[in-house]
Amino acid sequence: MDRSIAGMIFTTVLGMAAILLLIGFTEAPENAAGMAHGEIPAMRMGGDGAARLADIGGLVFAFNCLLLWFTVLLCTLSVSPGKRTPAFFGWMAAVFVTNLIVWRQMYFGHQAFLANGETGWFLGFPAATAWQVYGMWFSGVILIAVYSGGFRSYILSESDERRFEQLLRETRADAEPDSSAD
Amino acid sequence: MEIFRQEIILGVIVLYMALCVLIGIWSMGRTRSAGDFFIAGRNLGPIVVSLALFASTLSGFGFVGGPGLVYSVGVSSFWMVVISATAFGLGFFLVAKRIRMIAELRGCMSIPDVIAARYGSELARGLVALTIVLGVLGYLATQILAMSVVMQSILADTESFADISLLSCVALSSAVLVFYCVTGGVIASVYTDVLQGLVMVAAGFLILITAMQVFDGGLREAGEIVLADDSETMMPFGAAGIITSLGWFFVFGIGLAGQPHIVTKMMMNRNLADNRSILPLSLLGYMVSAFLWISIGLVMRAAVVGGSAEPLALPDDAAATFLAMFASPLLAGIVFAALFAAIMSTSDAFLNIGTAAIIHDIPRALRGRPVRNELFCARVVTVILAVVAAGFALFSHYRDATLVALLGAFGWGTFAASLFPVLAIGLNWKRATTAGAVSAVVSALAVNFIVQLAGITLPWGISGGLAAFVTSLVLFFAVSYATPRPRLARDIDRMMDI
Repeated sequence: MDRSIAGMIFTTVLGMAAILLLIGFTEAPENAAGMAHGEIPAMRMGGDGAARLADIGGLVFAFNCLLLWFTVLLCTLSVSPGKRTPAFFGWMAAVFVTNLIVWRQMYFGHQAFLANGETGWFLGFPAATAWQVYGMWFSGVILIAVYSGGFRSYILSESDERRFEQLLRETRADAEPDSSAD
Repeated sequence: MEIFRQEIILGVIVLYMALCVLIGIWSMGRTRSAGDFFIAGRNLGPIVVSLALFASTLSGFGFVGGPGLVYSVGVSSFWMVVISATAFGLGFFLVAKRIRMIAELRGCMSIPDVIAARYGSELARGLVALTIVLGVLGYLATQILAMSVVMQSILADTESFADISLLSCVALSSAVLVFYCVTGGVIASVYTDVLQGLVMVAAGFLILITAMQVFDGGLREAGEIVLADDSETMMPFGAAGIITSLGWFFVFGIGLAGQPHIVTKMMMNRNLADNRSILPLSLLGYMVSAFLWISIGLVMRAAVVGGSAEPLALPDDAAATFLAMFASPLLAGIVFAALFAAIMSTSDAFLNIGTAAIIHDIPRALRGRPVRNELFCARVVTVILAVVAAGFALFSHYRDATLVALLGAFGWGTFAASLFPVLAIGLNWKRATTAGAVSAVVSALAVNFIVQLAGITLPWGISGGLAAFVTSLVLFFAVSYATPRPRLARDIDRMMDI
């Protein structure tokens, strides 16, 4: 099982590396990483947002989808194979889908703003940015709820603690003759 | 109250520094061995570890550079903050349990110890220790310089210390830091972190309230002003663009699990099961403190764009200007104390891991055995390390900024790129080999060094840290798969099954 998850992680990393290379070889507009503010020193501005996304928007969208998939795979790798129950996979799927929804709303909310110049506001931020600020925090909090709430089920059960205590006792017992020899 | 503004600010800072010194004295009696000095004897409760963990994560950068970045590039830098929940979660999933287990199983006192135990390789230990020492020098130098510059600016506004030199400020600020690090080692470090964490939470919360009152329409009005000036700045990818933003997401989100000063704290808790409460508590503290990062930068940008404040000479002036314009003397004092707290809590963590690398890990990697009287040597090396870093800081300020900038390249991004695969994935994947680990560390250092030394600007705002991170991940897996399956030590193999 670990082999297939590690393989998926490696494939995902290769995918992200390939996308980065493709982006790197795409000609960048002048304001790709921002430009100096025309009137205020020490301040930068973004300028034409549509031009910045025109050639690489799809690639970047895919890159972040892979990045979100990567985080879920890493969490899965960290959980012992015996504890990867259907419920655990369900939670990981929930984390991934929530992240995807937040990312989709943020990305396409920005696209919609670029197209029509209008935006709603939510708790102090334009809609797309609010998805970033609140949505990303929220989706991360689900991950934390899985860790803390499911600690005994997925991370460290009481029998795991006993197994570790046993391992410690055996290791110390094995080490004792060596230390007395010193 | 306004008349005594500087005195009040100075009074709060002196009170904070005095508490740090008292904690150092209190901790001295509790530091009896190298194990106490480096990992607090693995005997800390969940609240202490939580506060220490988040306080170490949020450095002076979060209080000065963070608001400065929002002022300069807008929402782009939010990515470093909003990813924190995922970053902390991922870090705990990947590292917290196994690093605590391996630390107890093998008596590990440092990250290079853990690496040596996991891979059975002194080469891997030596490389990681070297990476840590280089990174520590860069981080410490920049933190000490930042602390001294802030101290000088505060003292310069008082009558008694108007002409104080930067050298005196470096000596003063370093003296407090070194005192409690030398006397109490990591025990003093984590208990000062508790104080520092509490101060930072209070500052973050109070600043958010203050920032929301600057404009009648609250943060929304500030956002509308920024949006009207340049809409991209207020949209999710900010002025710096989508690649820079996602690069920060990658390096700061995934890379937290590779930060030695943070994951070392995961070795210190008394019980393995404490991790279930440490994670949410750490994140809560970080999120509240991070309000300061977002709100100050946004309000200052709106104030300057809207014409109610003069343009700043440097983006990093955002926090100080905000405090001068909008905060009461007491709040300004608390925030300045929080700034010192943020700098010192990160610096003490780096002093500790740097000392461990020098006196514990490098001798083991080179000679196969530790130095004699580790506790005494640790105290001496802590002083030397701080003096060298302070020297770098002054040299950088007065002569040539290149050296510290170069070492600064060994910051968060380099630690993320070099240590994340080796540590966070290596502790969970038995197929990872020593060759894979060495390739990851070497490639991460090489890419960062080359980008920095050659002054290479990658297209689309791709950072050297992101390029190094992806390269090291690819090589870590590819070389591990290409080399024979490793034979793990029996205890490590069994530990990784739990």
